[in-house]
Amino acid sequence: MNLLFKLAWRNIWRNKRRSYITLAAIIFATFATIAMRGIQLGTYGVNIKNAVEMFTGYLQIQRIGYQENPSLNLAFSLEDSLQNILETNDKIISFTPRVYAAGLISYKDNSYGSAIFGIDPSKEKKTSKIMDKLKNGYFFTSDTSLEIVIGEKLLNNLKVNIGETVVILAQAFDGSLGNLKFKITGTVKTGSPELDNMAVFMSIRTSQELLALYGNRIHSIAIKLNSLENMGEVQDSLKSNIKSKNLAVLNWEEVMPDLKQSIDLDNISGLLMLIILIIIVAFGILNTVLMSVTERFNEFGVTLSIGMPQIKLVLLVLIETVFIAIIGIIIGDILGYAINNYFYFNPIEFGSEFAYIYEEYGFLPVMQSSINPYIIVNNTILVLTISVIACLYPMYKVYRLEPLKGIRHT
Amino acid sequence: MEIIKTENLKKTYKDNGVPVNALRGINLIINKGEHVVIAGPSGSGKTTLLNLLGALDKPTEGRIFFKGEDFSLKTKKELSDFRLRNLGFVFQAYNLIPVLSATENIEFSLMLLGIPEKERRAKSLKLLEELEIADLAYKRPGEMSGGQQQRVAVARAIVNNPKLVLADEPTANLDSKTGALLLDLMDKMNVEKNITFIFSSHDQLVIERAKRLLLLKDGLINDQNN
Amino acid sequence: MLFKLAWRNIWRNKRRSFIVFISVIVGVNAMLFMDGMSNGMLSQILFNEISLNVSHIQIHKNGFTDNKMVQNYIPDYENVEKIIITNKSIRYYSKRIVTFGLLSSAANSTGIYLNGIEPEKKQNVSRIKSSIIEGKYLSGNSGEIVIGKKLAEKLQVELGDKVVALANTSDGSIGSDVFRIVGIYKSPSSEFDKSYVYIPITNAQTMLNLQNKIHEFAIITNNYNSANIIRDKLRETLSGSYEVLSYEDLLPFVIIQLDMYKESLFVINLIISLALIFGIINSMLMSVFERIREIGVLMSIGMRNGKIFLMILIEAFTIGTAGTIIGVISGYLINIPFSTFGINLSVFAQSLESFAVGAILYPKLSVENFVMILLMIPLISILGALYPAYKAIKLEPVYAIRYI
Repeated sequence: MNLLFKLAWRNIWRNKRRSYITLAAIIFATFATIAMRGIQLGTYGVNIKNAVEMFTGYLQIQRIGYQENPSLNLAFSLEDSLQNILETNDKIISFTPRVYAAGLISYKDNSYGSAIFGIDPSKEKKTSKIMDKLKNGYFFTSDTSLEIVIGEKLLNNLKVNIGETVVILAQAFDGSLGNLKFKITGTVKTGSPELDNMAVFMSIRTSQELLALYGNRIHSIAIKLNSLENMGEVQDSLKSNIKSKNLAVLNWEEVMPDLKQSIDLDNISGLLMLIILIIIVAFGILNTVLMSVTERFNEFGVTLSIGMPQIKLVLLVLIETVFIAIIGIIIGDILGYAINNYFYFNPIEFGSEFAYIYEEYGFLPVMQSSINPYIIVNNTILVLTISVIACLYPMYKVYRLEPLKGIRHT
Repeated sequence: MEIIKTENLKKTYKDNGVPVNALRGINLIINKGEHVVIAGPSGSGKTTLLNLLGALDKPTEGRIFFKGEDFSLKTKKELSDFRLRNLGFVFQAYNLIPVLSATENIEFSLMLLGIPEKERRAKSLKLLEELEIADLAYKRPGEMSGGQQQRVAVARAIVNNPKLVLADEPTANLDSKTGALLLDLMDKMNVEKNITFIFSSHDQLVIERAKRLLLLKDGLINDQNN
Repeated sequence: MLFKLAWRNIWRNKRRSFIVFISVIVGVNAMLFMDGMSNGMLSQILFNEISLNVSHIQIHKNGFTDNKMVQNYIPDYENVEKIIITNKSIRYYSKRIVTFGLLSSAANSTGIYLNGIEPEKKQNVSRIKSSIIEGKYLSGNSGEIVIGKKLAEKLQVELGDKVVALANTSDGSIGSDVFRIVGIYKSPSSEFDKSYVYIPITNAQTMLNLQNKIHEFAIITNNYNSANIIRDKLRETLSGSYEVLSYEDLLPFVIIQLDMYKESLFVINLIISLALIFGIINSMLMSVFERIREIGVLMSIGMRNGKIFLMILIEAFTIGTAGTIIGVISGYLINIPFSTFGINLSVFAQSLESFAVGAILYPKLSVENFVMILLMIPLISILGALYPAYKAIKLEPVYAIRYI
């Protein structure tokens, strides 16, 4: 009702100071929550994209059961039908086959455990960034060469140089221990300790030789998509199109469950912080509204006497609170949007001391905000809801107010 | 024509746990157009009686009829609506909503009744003229003196042509000159528009002007005119 | 006198004071909760690493940490052992062979850290024995091996199965030996489970051609807080051919993380305090304006501005401090059942296991946070009351008395 809106608006400005302070609290709550969530979610996005494009891929196709237990035996062939499905999906930019095994790499008296990856350089280049991470030397080119590129830390640990020959020992498909001599032609530095400390990249054909994976058997296909948002859709599409019963299509969350869950964990703690903040501000709102209501009991009493329906008076209180909340939220949204925008285009990079820790846990030492509008929408709804909840008790007091009690109120 | 009729009206309330028999059996008939003053010493129950007559309170015993309608048969909501349509109130203080202008205060009940703006405006402006407070039209209560506020309150009370106006100590916060002016106003409305007025007061000024004086003592009425 | 006035003023509007009081308690509990969770997690990581693997102090041949070659065994280990035994601050110690190798089963093979240990002694130094979930711990008999559950799954083996261990020997060749799985353990960290295997030290020495040499002394001291001091003492006693490292040297990233956490703790508490301060300002303002007449009266009868100002501050300070105290007590009380029984985060279990925390988190409250809360909240209360108190004394007495 127009009358209510008019009254509500004027009532807000009766006590300017109080309203301003309440407004400030709401602005703070809105803006702080948007900024915090922005940085949190933005940084997750950065890390996910980085991890996914570095090597794992947005999606992977593997044998069912391989993810839980990456046994050498769980290999499959890249059939034409599968190839066709992948090539005809317009959201798939490229894909590449991979072979994987654990092995021992030795140079003179030193041996280290290693993760052997058989890759197809031409396809790999289009699908992941691993080849861009070449630090020194070069990547093998021919299919059958016995050249390898290893992680930089691994090179150091082995105390070997590029150009030298090493021995790689691995358990083959038929159970025998295969070993071959390889020449190191280059190193990669990815920033991910798992790769830098243990990765050995060789041509996929060579790896299949070493591991007796005849018939062009591979362990996984890594797929690059045009956008992270299409992940679900493409995954579903592939699942329904792939006829083979023993192949699974996995997204990065399933391939890197640790990353997913550590993001989830951090997410929870962020949400918790949000809720705590909002609750505290809610108390402030409760107090303010309650005060402004009890101050007016006399006036309310008279108003009820002359016949104003009780409900309308209760609504009045609600509308007053919502007005202030909305103003505060709008300003908070604008500020939050500005900050998120700023930190989206100007991400924060960490000093070396903290960078170290982040890398240990597989995170990039970068904080970037997100301009996803859902952040603003969700937080708006949150602050609005809590404002309404906070004024429920004062509304109740007005609901129960009897005209005479109001008039006589001191 | 009978406006108000009470039958054996009793009201008891608790004052710090001690029961007080404010009204012990009031039998009363008030007719349209009357100018009644309920008088009595402080604490004699006049405000209590007025509140009952104004459907703001419920009796402990007995019944109140307004033009034949029994208050006790109505729900709170019905009583509230009833007050809106049939009654007008002038209280001692806090009559006006501080954030509304005089005109808006006067039109308040008309707005609640859903009367369109043109009509509302016409009525309120006319009243403002009649009560000689036209210059206050767009002022807020904070910009008016006590006397002016009360006059606007009277305007508000009668704008929807109520059958009955109840005034509880309307002159209590005013000096005698302003009080007299206010009472002149209300008397005029009583005569010109035939609106029934019931006052409760211990102010000499009010009592002197009573056309019918009801003395309330020990919870019982002594009708001075009978 | 001021305190009496302030105290009574608080009770004048019970509801308002109460709401501020409760919001302070909520704020304090929030600070304690966030601290408990984060600190608990970090402490757990530290504790797990120490008790599973790193111990308080390790002694190696100098340079071993950077270059874990088999040949880098401890020179003259009997001497070192003597020094250890005579040190009163050292509670337990054990000898270890440590090397990287390959473990193979019929189904699979994978890189592992081979630990040759003295079973009877090691159990004091490491929690492996108590982590055994199937089978039993090493008995000291030859050919036994204890592996982690995740490793057993990866290799697709069970108790009683045989596995082959391969590693470089001290003379450069590859040594291997067959072992029978006698026990499977489960640690809070699945990464640990996948990599660490235990065999009798004698087996390790034979396989690697080390005779009776060892790579490492692992030491548990009487009090982990003094680990660094004991480390320094040992360094003085031992020559430069040895390296003595405390857990802080060995787990730099955990230590840095704990430091980093302390800094972020301040920021978190600051944000929570800011949220609180709005409520306090508003509440005190309303309280002041409610009493404007009275304050005017006080001024007229001669109470000085400074005293009035102080009185308002004391009111806010009292509520804030009371809220802090109750908040701290309630927070600590609530923490007791949680820190005893832990919070089961099994929804996120997988991620937490690999972070060496384990699925059950035991919140732990830090002293820094406690001190920070005690200082910050009362301070915030006073800060929040500054503006209202200022408004109070800016009144002209006459004006104040007339204010309705």
